[in-house]
Amino acid sequence: MPHNAAIVGGGLTEWGERDATWKDLAQEAGKATFDDVDGIEPADVEGLFVGAVQPERFAFQSHVAPMVAELLGIDVNGMLARTELACASGQAALRYAWLAIAAGQLDVALVLGVEKMNIDREHMPEIQSNMTNVLDREFDGVNGLNGPSYFAQYAQRHMEEHGTTQEQLAMVSAKNKSLAAETDFAHYREHVDVDDVLDSYPIAPPLRLLDCSGITDGAAGVLVVSEEKAAELGVETAAYITGSGQSCMASNSVNNIPSMTTWPQAREASQQAYEQAGIEDPLEEIDVAEVHDCFSISEIIEYEQLGFAEEGEGGQFIEDGRSELDGDVAVNPRGGLLGCGHPLGATGVCQALEVYRQFAGDVSSARQVPDDPETGLIHNLSGSASVHSVMTLARDPQ
Amino acid sequence: MTRPDHTGPKDADAPTDDLLRTDGGEHSDPPRGTITLPDEVELPRLLDFYDLQDPEHTRIHEFYDNLRAGSLTTTQCTDCDAIHFPPRVVCPECLSDDLTYTDLPHEGTLTSFTEVRGTAAIGMSDDPPFVVGVVDLGPVRLSARVDNATYDELETGDAVQLKVMDIDGPTEQDRVFYRFEPL
Ligand SMILES: [Zn+2]
Repeated sequence: MPHNAAIVGGGLTEWGERDATWKDLAQEAGKATFDDVDGIEPADVEGLFVGAVQPERFAFQSHVAPMVAELLGIDVNGMLARTELACASGQAALRYAWLAIAAGQLDVALVLGVEKMNIDREHMPEIQSNMTNVLDREFDGVNGLNGPSYFAQYAQRHMEEHGTTQEQLAMVSAKNKSLAAETDFAHYREHVDVDDVLDSYPIAPPLRLLDCSGITDGAAGVLVVSEEKAAELGVETAAYITGSGQSCMASNSVNNIPSMTTWPQAREASQQAYEQAGIEDPLEEIDVAEVHDCFSISEIIEYEQLGFAEEGEGGQFIEDGRSELDGDVAVNPRGGLLGCGHPLGATGVCQALEVYRQFAGDVSSARQVPDDPETGLIHNLSGSASVHSVMTLARDPQ
Repeated sequence: MTRPDHTGPKDADAPTDDLLRTDGGEHSDPPRGTITLPDEVELPRLLDFYDLQDPEHTRIHEFYDNLRAGSLTTTQCTDCDAIHFPPRVVCPECLSDDLTYTDLPHEGTLTSFTEVRGTAAIGMSDDPPFVVGVVDLGPVRLSARVDNATYDELETGDAVQLKVMDIDGPTEQDRVFYRFEPL
């Protein structure tokens, strides 16, 4: 890339069922982000990218990027936009900030992901409607498919074709939820073991309640700057964006997605990013991976498609402890979506912030990836898992 | 453009009494009124999962017309022969807009399924538990509700057959949709 871009800090809100509005969350995360980075004020921000999936449905509000600019007093004179790519909206926002800096258009960008999802519990059918329309509403959502009932079918097929077990699914949830117990902003902070997962209600069999991420309110922000600006700031730690790929294979509805067992789009997107970053052996070269564990089965398929495990061997990968904090690659040290919850637009931003914090050694020691991690990855799938987005990060510029 | 300065009067002599008063003291109570909202709203058009199916609202009305008459069909491209699902008005393989409707099999294979046991969306929130799965019809694969079966009774590979559902309310239109049931 002509210009390197780096994350130099960020902040977030408490995640959970928050007694707060969309605007409250945006302000909290914006303040936390600026408070975290010395030397950058709202007046320095030239680009603002807001990841948000459904403010129209959950907060009855659109045109949210200028709303954030107003709330944080940012006089944007470069680029501003809101990005919507369902569950990958936060990473999409980050990707546009990176591209704008790489192209030499900006030196300082704020990326903020915000989602308000919990309206009062009596309105759960409306919340579910808002989740269901992420699929092709006319032909897939209409059948009552939502997150659990859609991903349950990937689990069923993966179990049938590859012998993946209910226990292996549960191991993913137990790992991530227990790590989230060490994460101060996480929605779910209770240690969970495999039996807890197996004993939870099979809400969309074979998936059980604890195989699923939650409905979470939250926001997260990062500041992304050019390498020159990072040098000027004299930052101690940065997370440079070294590669970024996406793939959707012209698919969205059930008939057209390439497989109901696996995600070749994730393989394609990660290969694009690895090639840009010069990564040949991801398992060897990536220290920390924040992957999209919206459901336990997702992380298992992602081990395979991101190049950590052979096709069909994702279940064995978790069983052998290879994705633990001290394993071959530390996967989801903050506790992932399963533990932190999944405020849609905020998730990708939070993953990138976690990689930055892991580089900086700025997390609780109970979830710190050992031996000074220097390379990281974030991955999001979105919608019907039709789209996969992968970004690689490193402590040092390329 | 610069942002308007909202930091307040800078002139020390400027009158500030009315702006800064905090005691609420000398004001009389302001006039009060009432805004009345409806207790309930009808199912809004955009929260109805089923589209309006007539020629005035959709160019794939023929799909729904055929289904109403008892046939499951979809579009096929007359230029490149591609069969699409969902039905289209433009072929995604060659961008031709010369499409015809072709019959799909009414029997297929259930390749995956689950049971919705949590809260479902508006319009289907009284339905759980219900089975939803993926049906392979040969030329196309689609998701569908599977009626007359529970999760525990089904296996992948089971044969299923088309069931046409008439949609009751909230429009005057005679709308339809498809489901499947065990053969
Ligand atoms: Zn064609």
